Amino acid sequence: MNTLFSGLTHFQALALFSLAVSATFAFLSKRDAVERAKYFGWAFLAFLLVAIGIGWLMYPFSR
Amino acid sequence: MSEAVKQEQVTGSSTLAISAAVAGWAIPGLGHLLLRQWSKALVYFLCVGGLAWAGLAMRGGVFGANSADMFDRLGFFADLGTGAFYFLSHTIQSAGPDVAHASGDYGTRMFATAGMLNLLTVLEAYEIGRGRRA
Repeated sequence: MNTLFSGLTHFQALALFSLAVSATFAFLSKRDAVERAKYFGWAFLAFLLVAIGIGWLMYPFSR
Repeated sequence: MSEAVKQEQVTGSSTLAISAAVAGWAIPGLGHLLLRQWSKALVYFLCVGGLAWAGLAMRGGVFGANSADMFDRLGFFADLGTGAFYFLSHTIQSAGPDVAHASGDYGTRMFATAGMLNLLTVLEAYEIGRGRRA
């Protein structure tokens, strides 16, 4: 099982982190199943988009 | 206020709340399992436990108790939030931490985040046990 996680790419690690945090926050903050699903979807997408956006913003300063 | 919430408030007790909080800290989701919140227990166990395991498997750093640096001490409290995963970290992570690579650095953050998330679920378990939350 350790080898499964140790070979993750940057994006896979980001997706795993986003998935776990979004799902936990959805269950902590919402009671209804539909509301939880919506919250999870938006939070997950926001995590991915913001991280990729910040990555692109930092790109010119990387060299 | 719904009937379910009223019922929870009537049946809540400090003993149940503290037991649920301690159990939830020791093993993510166990507190909610004691409170018969099946779906939350499963999700918290998979998400918090999975994140903690992933952090260790990616060879992330685990902060020790006796550090002079303030940020390391904060990291220690965050890591301690994972409960059993913190105490089993050396067993799970047999190769030891390797933060020289990006993967290990991500692992450090994942493990600390798992601890903080677990502390939030512990607070929720306590509130449910007290009958203040459904």
